[in-house]
Amino acid sequence: MTPGGLILIAAVALLAGFAAARSFPRWWLAATLTAALAALSASAWVLAGGETWDWRTEFLVGGEAVHLRLDAISAFFLALLSVIGGVCSVYACEYWPDKAHPCSAPSGRAWWLGLLGNMGLVLLSTNGLHFLLGWELYTVCAYFLITTERQKREVRKAGWLYLAASHAGTLCLFAFFALLAARTGGWELGPLRGRADLAPLFWLALAGFGLKAGMFPLHIWLPSAHANAPSHVSAILSGVTLKIGIYGLVRFSGWMEVPLAAGWTVVILGVVSAVLGVAFALGQHDLKRLLAYHSVENIGIILIGLGFALVATAQGNPAWGLLALAGGLLHVWNHGLFKALLFLGAGSVLHATGTREMSRLGGLWRAMPWTAGCFVLGAAAISGLPPLNGFVSEWLVFLGLFDAVAARGAMAWAAVPAAVLLGMTGALALACFVKVCGVVFLGLPRTPAAAAAHECGPLMRGPMLALGTLCVVIGLAPALVWPLVARAAVAWNPAWTGSPVPAPLITLGLCHVVLVGLALPAAVLLWRRVRANGFTRAVTWDCGYAAPTPRMQYTADSFAGIITGWFAWILRPQRHEHAPAGPFPPGASRTEHTPETVLEHVVEPTGSLVMAVSTAVRRLQHGRVQAYIFYLVVGLAGLAALVLAGGAR
Amino acid sequence: MIATLEIALHLAVWLLLAPLLPGIINKIKAWVAGRRGPPVLQLYYDLARLWQKGVVLSTAVSPGHVAGPAVAWVALAGAALLLPVGQGGTLLSFRGDALLFVYLLALARFCIACAALDTGSAFEGMGVAREVSYAVLSEVALITALLALSVQSGSLSLGLMLTPSAGAGAALLAAGLFTVLLAENCRVPFDDPNTHLELTMIHEVMALDHSGPPLAVILHGAALKLLLFTVLLAEAVLPIGKLPPGWSVAVLAGAVLVVTVAVGFVESLLARFAFRRVPMLLTTAFLLCLFALLAAWKGGYG
Repeated sequence: MTPGGLILIAAVALLAGFAAARSFPRWWLAATLTAALAALSASAWVLAGGETWDWRTEFLVGGEAVHLRLDAISAFFLALLSVIGGVCSVYACEYWPDKAHPCSAPSGRAWWLGLLGNMGLVLLSTNGLHFLLGWELYTVCAYFLITTERQKREVRKAGWLYLAASHAGTLCLFAFFALLAARTGGWELGPLRGRADLAPLFWLALAGFGLKAGMFPLHIWLPSAHANAPSHVSAILSGVTLKIGIYGLVRFSGWMEVPLAAGWTVVILGVVSAVLGVAFALGQHDLKRLLAYHSVENIGIILIGLGFALVATAQGNPAWGLLALAGGLLHVWNHGLFKALLFLGAGSVLHATGTREMSRLGGLWRAMPWTAGCFVLGAAAISGLPPLNGFVSEWLVFLGLFDAVAARGAMAWAAVPAAVLLGMTGALALACFVKVCGVVFLGLPRTPAAAAAHECGPLMRGPMLALGTLCVVIGLAPALVWPLVARAAVAWNPAWTGSPVPAPLITLGLCHVVLVGLALPAAVLLWRRVRANGFTRAVTWDCGYAAPTPRMQYTADSFAGIITGWFAWILRPQRHEHAPAGPFPPGASRTEHTPETVLEHVVEPTGSLVMAVSTAVRRLQHGRVQAYIFYLVVGLAGLAALVLAGGAR
Repeated sequence: MIATLEIALHLAVWLLLAPLLPGIINKIKAWVAGRRGPPVLQLYYDLARLWQKGVVLSTAVSPGHVAGPAVAWVALAGAALLLPVGQGGTLLSFRGDALLFVYLLALARFCIACAALDTGSAFEGMGVAREVSYAVLSEVALITALLALSVQSGSLSLGLMLTPSAGAGAALLAAGLFTVLLAENCRVPFDDPNTHLELTMIHEVMALDHSGPPLAVILHGAALKLLLFTVLLAEAVLPIGKLPPGWSVAVLAGAVLVVTVAVGFVESLLARFAFRRVPMLLTTAFLLCLFALLAAWKGGYG
């Protein structure tokens, strides 16, 4: 079957699912999975070497003929959308059932399909107007999904922030597409290489798409939106929706000429996003907010790859550009997989304990071993540890950076700091996820709610296992994914046509297989040895203290204290301390909270300033006609003075 | 078949020699203090004894408490296989293996840290927090050192990067890597392996609740990591790969001995630093490696 047929099946299935969304959850799930499978097959067909699917009709929408195209870049992102979309739909059935949420679950299913379908439309459309339509529609669908629990105040607040920020981005995109249409004479999109006059438009695209992708400092909407949405929504927002922003950047930087400074700017933004994203993540005590900040970090890593590819394109397409781009693109998939896995894991924790506050959790591995196992796997993957997928993409980016340094050109001035800070990001992410795993899943339960946790059911466990398996598979067999990534990279820049699988990548895959093959038997062997020698159970070493309680365990804030101290200049943590006093202190408390610095110290003061100026100006308008006549007279007098002065000259 | 045998032989040498280093350091420390000290082979006796002993497991721990040290040990052994020994080069060498080396060390850190947090002890939480925080800075210094070596040799695989000497920046690189060695292996002035106060430990406190075979694996892994960094330092600074085969092994062994003795002397003559001064020292190590990188940049291919 051709991609066209498959896309048609997907579209029909989506419409059927839409019809079934309100009252037939099972049919809705079947339709969604059919659509996901069909879209996945279509993208696999294109990525595996099939031709670009191009479908032009005479059917007009908004005065423009519908024109869809599925090339390797679209297919690359569509594959991610289908996998994460399908998997999260299954999860949603158990996580957000009709029984517990009779009102929001049915409407949520409809919005969900709207989100998936419109993101697919954005990926497929080759018309600026339709691109904007799909863009706006999926943004609105995402708003209604984020505000699923809109009876809560902070959810409404997060939703408004998301809507306002998204529309600021959409405004940039409106300007971008309108200027593009004005200069090319039509809304039709396509390769426009060699048109130097279009290069400055890249900055508009960077602002619009970058805001959607959540790059620093345009990420202000991201943490609260991802934290307050239901977890399957957070998973798709973080796993796919951010990547639509990356898709826009990749798409238009590939099709159009970019300014000379574009690559450098993207690299700098990427490095800043990576390091500060993880620094902010370390300061969080809300599990989902922490994961949301890690999205900023990973978007940074993707941007570093893309930025160096742009620099390479400007400098005659050396091979390190391909490595950086392939690393960035592969990280798009990898981040989608492990971040969705982590958000689903966080959702299971929230489902089982009713809290996202890490200091109220602990020791969850006992009650929820599957969730704990999957979450730790995702944590290792996002920390970029071998033998998992996160390491493969970071390794490719690193390889590109090291080669750029070894080439000793001007770009080494960017590659050295980028490589060093990328290494730092990896180590910081490791610190952060050791903290999360330790505080949430290991140790002893800190509250009764954590002690009473329960494992999630098969419909929530299955999706996590599926995502975990994909993480492991990409880690163990990176050479299998390379051709797909390379095809997307070649669609981006045809100069890299015919690049075979790099030999080191095959060796790396082998090393990973050997590592797994040795680590598992070693663990089993050690456990057998422990059993053979015999073991007794005792309390954890407590220094002889007679009555330790689970609350005495190290907390998340203390754990991250050393590193958040280094970044205090930007994190600006707010501390409230009530110190114990006197020989018999009645009580003491200490809370620490890391706010969103850019939002609270840049955007909010600017907003207040604008509001203050507007309020002041508004005093001019009060409804007294005499004063208005006075304004007219003053205005006319001013004009007369201007004319007379001009005439004199 | 022969390749497999050779790999096994290499690994056996690494694993067998590793526990020697802490013994030498302790002997030096005893000698400086005027004591007789424990035998050089003390760690071998300890490991053998621990391997036979029963285990006390905390009531809080998950199976990861035992699996963690095992996986960490495998990761460290894998990192050892990536390092070339003498002139023969590595058996497992590919472009970018230097990064795999760094991230295998990170994997070992992740596993040990999770195994330690498993006990729910505040002491171990503190130790892990220090370990992973300081590792951020030492990893930055290590990556900068690898960048310097890669620029110097024009290559990205450890086998070729470590063959020539570090050229003009050798002294800088040696100082930087030596500091990283001390930090990564929790030696004085970053941590005191002999301290008896849980509050001031880093590495020791992470193994506080391990006993028997898992503790043996952790101790052996730590010794292996020390040997790894010593060999890395020696080969980065000296042109060992360019010497004739017999000589290269002898020079490597001599250099490893010199570094080990130096660690012993540092440990005897210096006190442990306050924790707030640790980041400064590690930043200095990073700057030293950065200057080595600039020197390599100016120096051209060695």
